[in-house]
Amino acid sequence: MAEMFSYDDDREQKSAARVRALESLLIEKGLITGDTVDQVLKYFETEMGPFNGAKVVAKAWVDPAFKALLLEDPTAAIATMDFPSGMAGAEGEHMIAVENKPGVHNLIVCTLCSCYPWPVLGLPPYWYKDPTFRARAAREPRAVLSEFGLEFDDDTEIRVWDSSAQIRWFVLPEQPAGTEGMSEAELAALITPEAMMGVARVESP
Amino acid sequence: MKLQHNLGGVEALGPVNFEKRVFVEPWEQRIFGIHVAMMGLSNHLPIESVPTKFKSEWTWADLRKGAEAMHPFEYFKYRYYEKWLGGISGFFVSAGYITEDELEAKSKEYLASPDLPLPTGGETGIDEQVIKYLRVGDSPKRDIDAKPKFALGDKVLVKDLPPTDHTRLPGYLRDKPGVVTTVYDGAYTYFCETADGLGEPMPVYCVRFDPVDIWGEMAEGKAYIFADIFETYLTEL
Repeated sequence: MAEMFSYDDDREQKSAARVRALESLLIEKGLITGDTVDQVLKYFETEMGPFNGAKVVAKAWVDPAFKALLLEDPTAAIATMDFPSGMAGAEGEHMIAVENKPGVHNLIVCTLCSCYPWPVLGLPPYWYKDPTFRARAAREPRAVLSEFGLEFDDDTEIRVWDSSAQIRWFVLPEQPAGTEGMSEAELAALITPEAMMGVARVESP
Repeated sequence: MKLQHNLGGVEALGPVNFEKRVFVEPWEQRIFGIHVAMMGLSNHLPIESVPTKFKSEWTWADLRKGAEAMHPFEYFKYRYYEKWLGGISGFFVSAGYITEDELEAKSKEYLASPDLPLPTGGETGIDEQVIKYLRVGDSPKRDIDAKPKFALGDKVLVKDLPPTDHTRLPGYLRDKPGVVTTVYDGAYTYFCETADGLGEPMPVYCVRFDPVDIWGEMAEGKAYIFADIFETYLTEL
Protein backbone atom coordinates (compact mmCIF):
# COMPACT_ATOMS: atom_id res chain seq x y z
CA MET A 1 0.00 0.00 0.00
CA ALA A 2 2.84 2.38 0.81
CA GLU A 3 3.96 1.96 -2.78
CA MET A 4 0.58 3.16 -4.02
CA PHE A 5 0.84 6.42 -2.16
CA SER A 6 4.44 7.20 -3.00
CA TYR A 7 4.85 10.18 -5.27
CA ASP A 8 7.66 11.05 -7.62
CA ASP A 9 9.68 14.02 -6.42
CA ASP A 10 9.20 15.62 -9.80
CA ARG A 11 5.47 14.92 -9.89
CA GLU A 12 4.44 18.46 -10.89
CA GLN A 13 7.22 18.92 -13.46
CA LYS A 14 6.24 15.65 -15.10
CA SER A 15 2.57 16.60 -15.23
CA ALA A 16 3.45 20.03 -16.59
CA ALA A 17 5.59 18.47 -19.32
CA ARG A 18 2.98 15.85 -20.16
CA VAL A 19 0.12 18.32 -20.51
CA ARG A 20 2.31 20.59 -22.63
CA ALA A 21 3.25 17.65 -24.80
CA LEU A 22 -0.40 16.71 -25.17
CA GLU A 23 -1.46 20.25 -26.08
CA SER A 24 1.42 20.49 -28.52
CA LEU A 25 0.43 17.27 -30.30
CA LEU A 26 -3.23 18.27 -30.47
CA ILE A 27 -2.25 21.56 -32.09
CA GLU A 28 0.16 19.89 -34.53
CA LYS A 29 -2.51 17.39 -35.57
CA GLY A 30 -5.18 20.04 -36.11
CA LEU A 31 -7.56 19.03 -33.30
CA ILE A 32 -7.21 22.40 -31.58
CA THR A 33 -5.26 25.57 -32.40
CA GLY A 34 -2.36 27.29 -30.73
CA ASP A 35 -4.89 29.71 -29.20
CA THR A 36 -7.70 27.37 -28.09
CA VAL A 37 -6.66 26.77 -24.50
CA ASP A 38 -5.74 30.43 -23.96
CA GLN A 39 -9.11 31.51 -25.32
CA VAL A 40 -10.96 29.16 -22.98
CA LEU A 41 -8.99 30.44 -20.00
CA LYS A 42 -9.55 34.05 -21.03
CA TYR A 43 -13.29 33.42 -21.22
CA PHE A 44 -13.32 32.41 -17.55
CA GLU A 45 -10.95 35.17 -16.49
CA THR A 46 -12.83 38.00 -18.17
CA GLU A 47 -16.41 36.95 -18.94
CA MET A 48 -17.66 34.11 -16.75
CA GLY A 49 -16.55 34.23 -13.15
CA PRO A 50 -17.67 34.89 -9.59
CA PHE A 51 -17.75 38.61 -10.43
CA ASN A 52 -21.01 37.85 -12.29
CA GLY A 53 -22.59 36.07 -9.34
CA ALA A 54 -21.54 38.90 -7.04
CA LYS A 55 -23.42 41.39 -9.24
CA VAL A 56 -26.50 39.15 -9.25
CA VAL A 57 -26.49 38.85 -5.46
CA ALA A 58 -25.91 42.57 -4.96
CA LYS A 59 -28.83 43.39 -7.22
CA ALA A 60 -31.05 40.95 -5.35
CA TRP A 61 -30.19 42.75 -2.10
CA VAL A 62 -31.23 46.17 -3.38
CA ASP A 63 -34.12 45.22 -5.70
CA PRO A 64 -36.89 43.11 -4.13
CA ALA A 65 -38.66 42.48 -7.42
CA PHE A 66 -35.41 41.20 -8.94
CA LYS A 67 -34.80 39.02 -5.91
CA ALA A 68 -38.27 37.48 -6.21
CA LEU A 69 -37.65 36.69 -9.88
CA LEU A 70 -34.16 35.33 -9.13
CA LEU A 71 -35.59 32.82 -6.67
CA GLU A 72 -38.41 31.92 -9.05
CA ASP A 73 -36.56 31.86 -12.37
CA PRO A 74 -32.84 32.68 -12.16
CA THR A 75 -32.27 32.43 -15.89
CA ALA A 76 -34.96 35.03 -16.57
CA ALA A 77 -33.72 37.26 -13.77
CA ILE A 78 -30.11 37.11 -14.90
CA ALA A 79 -31.16 37.79 -18.50
CA THR A 80 -32.46 41.21 -17.41
CA MET A 81 -28.92 42.23 -16.43
CA ASP A 82 -26.12 43.49 -18.61
CA PHE A 83 -23.85 40.45 -18.92
CA PRO A 84 -21.84 38.98 -21.82
CA SER A 85 -23.65 36.37 -23.90
CA GLY A 86 -23.38 32.97 -22.25
CA MET A 87 -25.13 33.36 -18.89
CA ALA A 88 -27.29 30.35 -19.76
CA GLY A 89 -24.38 28.62 -21.48
CA ALA A 90 -22.17 25.73 -20.44
CA GLU A 91 -22.90 24.59 -16.86
CA GLY A 92 -25.47 27.36 -16.50
CA GLU A 93 -28.24 25.92 -18.65
CA HIS A 94 -30.40 25.21 -15.59
CA MET A 95 -29.52 27.11 -12.43
CA ILE A 96 -31.38 27.60 -9.17
CA ALA A 97 -30.62 30.06 -6.37
CA VAL A 98 -31.44 29.19 -2.76
CA GLU A 99 -31.76 31.90 -0.15
CA ASN A 100 -30.04 32.04 3.22
CA LYS A 101 -32.20 33.68 5.86
CA PRO A 102 -32.62 33.58 9.61
CA GLY A 103 -33.23 29.93 10.52
CA VAL A 104 -32.15 28.52 7.14
CA HIS A 105 -28.62 28.06 5.83
CA ASN A 106 -27.83 26.47 2.46
CA LEU A 107 -24.70 24.58 1.44
CA ILE A 108 -23.90 23.37 -2.08
CA VAL A 109 -21.97 20.20 -2.80
CA CYS A 110 -21.51 17.71 -5.61
CA THR A 111 -20.69 14.37 -4.03
CA LEU A 112 -20.26 12.58 -7.37
CA CYS A 113 -17.98 15.07 -9.10
CA SER A 114 -17.77 18.86 -9.14
CA CYS A 115 -20.94 20.31 -10.72
CA TYR A 116 -20.78 24.08 -10.42
CA PRO A 117 -22.68 27.00 -12.01
CA TRP A 118 -19.97 28.33 -14.30
CA PRO A 119 -21.63 31.49 -15.67
CA VAL A 120 -22.31 32.98 -12.24
CA LEU A 121 -19.42 31.51 -10.26
CA GLY A 122 -16.75 30.65 -12.81
CA LEU A 123 -14.70 27.57 -12.01
CA PRO A 124 -14.87 25.71 -8.72
CA PRO A 125 -12.18 26.37 -6.10
CA TYR A 126 -10.03 23.47 -5.00
CA TRP A 127 -11.87 22.86 -1.72
CA TYR A 128 -15.13 22.22 -3.57
CA LYS A 129 -13.53 19.48 -5.70
CA ASP A 130 -11.57 17.86 -2.88
CA PRO A 131 -12.98 14.45 -1.87
CA THR A 132 -12.81 15.38 1.81
CA PHE A 133 -15.27 18.25 1.48
CA ARG A 134 -17.55 16.19 -0.75
CA ALA A 135 -17.56 13.22 1.62
CA ARG A 136 -18.10 15.21 4.79
CA ALA A 137 -20.58 17.83 3.59
CA ALA A 138 -23.12 15.07 3.07
CA ARG A 139 -22.75 13.45 6.50
CA GLU A 140 -21.72 16.27 8.83
CA PRO A 141 -22.43 19.64 7.22
CA ARG A 142 -22.50 21.43 10.57
CA ALA A 143 -19.01 20.18 11.41
CA VAL A 144 -17.75 21.17 7.96
CA LEU A 145 -19.31 24.62 8.21
CA SER A 146 -17.73 25.02 11.62
CA GLU A 147 -14.31 24.33 10.10
CA PHE A 148 -15.05 27.08 7.60
CA GLY A 149 -15.82 29.34 10.56
CA LEU A 150 -19.62 29.22 10.47
CA GLU A 151 -21.52 28.19 13.58
CA PHE A 152 -25.28 27.74 13.71
CA ASP A 153 -27.63 27.12 16.58
CA ASP A 154 -29.54 23.85 16.69
CA ASP A 155 -32.73 25.50 15.51
CA THR A 156 -31.21 26.68 12.25
CA GLU A 157 -32.03 24.27 9.46
CA ILE A 158 -29.08 23.33 7.29
CA ARG A 159 -30.00 22.46 3.72
CA VAL A 160 -27.37 20.59 1.73
CA TRP A 161 -27.96 20.61 -2.03
CA ASP A 162 -26.27 17.70 -3.80
CA SER A 163 -26.00 18.41 -7.52
CA SER A 164 -26.30 14.99 -9.11
CA ALA A 165 -28.47 15.74 -12.14
CA GLN A 166 -28.54 18.83 -14.33
CA ILE A 167 -29.45 21.64 -11.96
CA ARG A 168 -26.61 23.88 -10.87
CA TRP A 169 -27.20 25.49 -7.48
CA PHE A 170 -25.89 28.64 -5.90
CA VAL A 171 -26.64 30.44 -2.67
CA LEU A 172 -28.13 33.87 -2.24
CA PRO A 173 -26.31 34.87 0.95
CA GLU A 174 -27.65 37.26 3.58
CA GLN A 175 -26.78 40.90 3.26
CA PRO A 176 -24.44 41.92 6.09
CA ALA A 177 -25.70 44.42 8.63
CA GLY A 178 -24.68 48.01 8.12
CA THR A 179 -24.43 47.86 4.33
CA GLU A 180 -27.94 49.05 3.54
CA GLY A 181 -26.92 52.34 1.94
CA MET A 182 -24.21 50.88 -0.27
CA SER A 183 -24.36 50.79 -4.06
CA GLU A 184 -24.65 47.55 -6.00
CA ALA A 185 -21.02 47.86 -7.08
CA GLU A 186 -19.85 48.40 -3.51
CA LEU A 187 -21.91 45.44 -2.32
CA ALA A 188 -20.70 43.19 -5.14
CA ALA A 189 -17.12 43.79 -4.05
CA LEU A 190 -17.90 42.14 -0.69
CA ILE A 191 -19.31 38.91 -2.11
CA THR A 192 -17.06 35.85 -2.43
CA PRO A 193 -17.53 32.54 -4.28
CA GLU A 194 -17.47 30.86 -0.87
CA ALA A 195 -20.47 32.94 0.26
CA MET A 196 -22.33 31.88 -2.88
CA MET A 197 -21.62 28.20 -2.11
CA GLY A 198 -22.68 28.55 1.52
CA VAL A 199 -19.36 28.09 3.32
CA ALA A 200 -18.89 31.77 4.21
CA ARG A 201 -20.91 34.78 5.24
CA VAL A 202 -20.60 38.06 3.45
CA GLU A 203 -18.77 40.35 5.84
CA SER A 204 -19.35 44.07 6.34
CA PRO A 205 -16.38 46.12 5.14
CA MET B 1 -19.97 -0.83 -4.20
CA LYS B 2 -17.66 1.64 -5.80
CA LEU B 3 -15.89 4.26 -3.71
CA GLN B 4 -16.33 6.99 -6.30
CA HIS B 5 -20.11 6.48 -6.19
CA ASN B 6 -20.14 6.43 -2.39
CA LEU B 7 -17.98 9.35 -1.40
CA GLY B 8 -20.77 11.02 0.56
CA GLY B 9 -20.32 9.92 4.17
CA VAL B 10 -16.82 8.44 3.98
CA GLU B 11 -15.27 8.91 7.41
CA ALA B 12 -11.83 9.65 8.84
CA LEU B 13 -10.68 11.99 6.08
CA GLY B 14 -9.48 14.71 8.41
CA PRO B 15 -10.17 18.44 8.12
CA VAL B 16 -11.34 20.07 4.92
CA ASN B 17 -8.59 21.59 2.81
CA PHE B 18 -9.78 25.18 2.42
CA GLU B 19 -7.68 25.93 -0.66
CA LYS B 20 -9.52 28.64 -2.57
CA ARG B 21 -7.52 28.64 -5.78
CA VAL B 22 -9.09 26.91 -8.79
CA PHE B 23 -5.75 25.74 -10.17
CA VAL B 24 -3.12 24.87 -7.58
CA GLU B 25 -0.41 24.34 -10.22
CA PRO B 26 -0.16 26.43 -13.40
CA TRP B 27 -0.18 23.33 -15.63
CA GLU B 28 -3.68 22.43 -14.43
CA GLN B 29 -5.11 25.30 -16.47
CA ARG B 30 -3.95 23.64 -19.68
CA ILE B 31 -5.73 20.32 -19.10
CA PHE B 32 -8.88 22.18 -18.12
CA GLY B 33 -8.71 24.12 -21.40
CA ILE B 34 -8.15 20.95 -23.42
CA HIS B 35 -11.16 19.28 -21.79
CA VAL B 36 -13.41 22.26 -22.53
CA ALA B 37 -12.19 22.29 -26.13
CA MET B 38 -13.02 18.60 -26.47
CA MET B 39 -16.51 19.19 -25.08
CA GLY B 40 -17.01 22.09 -27.50
CA LEU B 41 -15.80 20.03 -30.45
CA SER B 42 -17.64 16.84 -29.51
CA ASN B 43 -19.31 15.15 -32.47
CA HIS B 44 -22.71 15.06 -30.78
CA LEU B 45 -22.92 18.83 -31.28
CA PRO B 46 -23.85 20.37 -34.67
CA ILE B 47 -20.25 20.95 -35.76
CA GLU B 48 -20.07 19.40 -39.25
CA SER B 49 -18.50 22.53 -40.75
CA VAL B 50 -15.94 23.07 -37.99
CA PRO B 51 -12.42 22.43 -39.36
CA THR B 52 -11.14 20.27 -36.50
CA LYS B 53 -9.54 16.86 -36.78
CA PHE B 54 -11.24 15.87 -33.52
CA LYS B 55 -14.03 13.52 -34.56
CA SER B 56 -15.06 11.88 -31.31
CA GLU B 57 -17.77 12.35 -28.75
CA TRP B 58 -16.45 13.85 -25.55
CA THR B 59 -18.68 14.98 -22.69
CA TRP B 60 -18.62 15.15 -18.92
CA ALA B 61 -19.79 11.54 -18.98
CA ASP B 62 -16.54 10.44 -20.62
CA LEU B 63 -14.42 12.33 -18.12
CA ARG B 64 -16.47 11.01 -15.20
CA LYS B 65 -16.29 7.43 -16.47
CA GLY B 66 -12.51 7.70 -16.38
CA ALA B 67 -12.52 8.88 -12.77
CA GLU B 68 -15.06 6.23 -11.79
CA ALA B 69 -12.88 3.52 -13.35
CA MET B 70 -9.86 4.33 -11.20
CA HIS B 71 -8.59 2.17 -8.40
CA PRO B 72 -10.06 3.79 -5.28
CA PHE B 73 -6.61 4.36 -3.77
CA GLU B 74 -5.54 6.18 -6.90
CA TYR B 75 -8.73 8.21 -6.85
CA PHE B 76 -7.55 9.65 -3.53
CA LYS B 77 -3.89 9.73 -4.44
CA TYR B 78 -4.21 11.94 -7.47
CA ARG B 79 -5.36 15.53 -7.30
CA TYR B 80 -8.42 16.59 -9.28
CA TYR B 81 -6.67 17.74 -12.45
CA GLU B 82 -4.13 14.93 -12.26
CA LYS B 83 -7.07 12.59 -12.77
CA TRP B 84 -8.16 14.68 -15.74
CA LEU B 85 -4.68 14.56 -17.26
CA GLY B 86 -4.54 10.78 -16.90
CA GLY B 87 -8.03 10.25 -18.32
CA ILE B 88 -7.74 12.68 -21.21
CA SER B 89 -4.26 11.71 -22.36
CA GLY B 90 -5.29 8.07 -22.09
CA PHE B 91 -8.31 8.78 -24.27
CA PHE B 92 -6.26 10.42 -27.03
CA VAL B 93 -3.92 7.43 -27.09
CA SER B 94 -6.64 4.78 -27.06
CA ALA B 95 -8.68 6.62 -29.70
CA GLY B 96 -5.62 6.68 -31.96
CA TYR B 97 -5.10 10.44 -32.24
CA ILE B 98 -1.62 10.13 -30.74
CA THR B 99 0.62 7.28 -29.64
CA GLU B 100 1.98 6.75 -26.17
CA ASP B 101 5.46 6.82 -27.69
CA GLU B 102 5.08 10.26 -29.23
CA LEU B 103 3.47 11.60 -26.06
CA GLU B 104 6.39 10.21 -24.03
CA ALA B 105 8.96 11.59 -26.43
CA LYS B 106 7.37 15.04 -26.48
CA SER B 107 6.98 15.00 -22.68
CA LYS B 108 10.71 14.35 -22.36
CA GLU B 109 11.42 17.35 -24.56
CA TYR B 110 9.27 19.62 -22.42
CA LEU B 111 10.63 18.13 -19.20
CA ALA B 112 14.15 18.98 -20.37
CA SER B 113 13.10 22.41 -21.71
CA PRO B 114 9.90 23.58 -19.99
CA ASP B 115 9.98 26.90 -21.82
CA LEU B 116 10.00 25.35 -25.26
CA PRO B 117 7.11 27.11 -27.02
CA LEU B 118 3.90 25.46 -28.13
CA PRO B 119 3.11 25.30 -31.83
CA THR B 120 1.11 28.28 -33.07
CA GLY B 121 -1.62 28.79 -35.64
CA GLY B 122 -4.52 26.63 -36.68
CA GLU B 123 -8.01 27.06 -38.05
CA THR B 124 -9.79 29.90 -36.26
CA GLY B 125 -13.11 28.15 -36.82
CA ILE B 126 -12.07 25.68 -34.13
CA ASP B 127 -11.76 28.36 -31.47
CA GLU B 128 -14.99 30.01 -32.58
CA GLN B 129 -16.84 26.74 -32.04
CA VAL B 130 -15.32 26.15 -28.60
CA ILE B 131 -16.36 29.61 -27.40
CA LYS B 132 -19.76 29.19 -29.03
CA TYR B 133 -20.24 25.98 -27.05
CA LEU B 134 -19.43 27.85 -23.84
CA ARG B 135 -21.93 30.59 -24.67
CA VAL B 136 -24.74 28.32 -25.87
CA GLY B 137 -24.20 25.32 -23.58
CA ASP B 138 -25.46 21.82 -24.17
CA SER B 139 -28.77 21.54 -22.38
CA PRO B 140 -30.08 18.02 -21.75
CA LYS B 141 -33.58 19.38 -21.16
CA ARG B 142 -36.27 18.30 -23.60
CA ASP B 143 -39.57 20.17 -23.56
CA ILE B 144 -41.80 17.17 -23.81
CA ASP B 145 -44.67 16.04 -21.64
CA ALA B 146 -42.70 13.56 -19.59
CA LYS B 147 -45.68 12.37 -17.53
CA PRO B 148 -43.87 12.28 -14.18
CA LYS B 149 -44.63 9.23 -12.08
CA PHE B 150 -44.31 11.17 -8.85
CA ALA B 151 -45.86 14.39 -7.60
CA LEU B 152 -44.92 17.05 -5.11
CA GLY B 153 -45.00 15.62 -1.60
CA ASP B 154 -44.83 11.98 -2.70
CA LYS B 155 -42.73 9.64 -0.60
CA VAL B 156 -40.16 7.85 -2.71
CA LEU B 157 -37.47 5.26 -2.19
CA VAL B 158 -34.13 5.46 -3.96
CA LYS B 159 -33.33 2.23 -5.78
CA ASP B 160 -30.21 0.31 -4.89
CA LEU B 161 -29.02 -0.59 -8.36
CA PRO B 162 -25.93 -2.64 -9.15
CA PRO B 163 -22.81 -0.51 -9.58
CA THR B 164 -22.01 0.37 -13.19
CA ASP B 165 -19.17 2.06 -15.02
CA HIS B 166 -21.00 5.36 -14.64
CA THR B 167 -23.89 6.61 -12.54
CA ARG B 168 -25.49 9.81 -11.36
CA LEU B 169 -26.93 8.19 -8.26
CA PRO B 170 -25.06 9.20 -5.10
CA GLY B 171 -24.32 6.02 -3.17
CA TYR B 172 -25.24 7.35 0.26
CA LEU B 173 -28.83 7.84 -0.91
CA ARG B 174 -29.31 4.28 -2.16
CA ASP B 175 -32.21 2.49 -0.50
CA LYS B 176 -33.15 5.65 1.44
CA PRO B 177 -36.62 7.20 1.66
CA GLY B 178 -37.25 10.80 0.72
CA VAL B 179 -39.97 13.26 -0.19
CA VAL B 180 -40.34 14.95 -3.57
CA THR B 181 -39.97 18.72 -3.14
CA THR B 182 -39.75 19.69 -6.82
CA VAL B 183 -40.92 18.06 -10.02
CA TYR B 184 -38.79 19.79 -12.61
CA ASP B 185 -40.42 20.89 -15.85
CA GLY B 186 -39.75 18.87 -18.97
CA ALA B 187 -37.50 15.87 -19.23
CA TYR B 188 -33.76 15.40 -19.07
CA THR B 189 -31.53 13.25 -21.19
CA TYR B 190 -28.02 12.31 -20.18
CA PHE B 191 -24.88 12.55 -22.32
CA CYS B 192 -24.84 8.82 -22.81
CA GLU B 193 -26.88 5.79 -21.95
CA THR B 194 -25.80 4.32 -18.64
CA ALA B 195 -26.27 0.71 -17.63
CA ASP B 196 -28.41 1.90 -14.73
CA GLY B 197 -31.00 3.59 -16.89
CA LEU B 198 -30.03 7.14 -17.91
CA GLY B 199 -30.16 8.39 -21.48
CA GLU B 200 -33.71 8.73 -22.73
CA PRO B 201 -35.49 11.94 -21.67
CA MET B 202 -37.05 11.44 -18.24
CA PRO B 203 -38.34 13.53 -15.36
CA VAL B 204 -35.96 14.73 -12.69
CA TYR B 205 -37.01 15.42 -9.11
CA CYS B 206 -35.56 17.24 -6.19
CA VAL B 207 -35.91 14.89 -3.24
CA ARG B 208 -35.52 15.85 0.41
CA PHE B 209 -33.94 13.36 2.80
CA ASP B 210 -34.07 13.36 6.58
CA PRO B 211 -30.50 12.87 7.84
CA VAL B 212 -31.71 10.31 10.40
CA ASP B 213 -32.93 8.07 7.56
CA ILE B 214 -29.46 8.20 6.00
CA TRP B 215 -27.05 8.28 8.91
CA GLY B 216 -29.07 6.99 11.84
CA GLU B 217 -27.63 7.95 15.18
CA MET B 218 -24.70 9.72 13.54
CA ALA B 219 -27.00 12.25 11.93
CA GLU B 220 -26.61 15.91 12.72
CA GLY B 221 -29.82 17.62 13.76
CA LYS B 222 -31.87 19.48 11.18
CA ALA B 223 -29.32 18.98 8.41
CA TYR B 224 -31.40 17.96 5.43
CA ILE B 225 -30.14 16.67 2.11
CA PHE B 226 -31.78 17.82 -1.10
CA ALA B 227 -30.69 15.88 -4.16
CA ASP B 228 -31.71 16.06 -7.80
CA ILE B 229 -32.54 12.53 -8.88
CA PHE B 230 -33.47 11.06 -12.24
CA GLU B 231 -36.81 9.24 -12.26
CA THR B 232 -35.26 5.90 -13.18
CA TYR B 233 -33.49 5.86 -9.80
CA LEU B 234 -36.72 6.19 -7.80
CA THR B 235 -39.51 3.89 -6.83
CA GLU B 236 -42.72 4.48 -4.84
CA LEU B 237 -42.70 4.02 -1.10
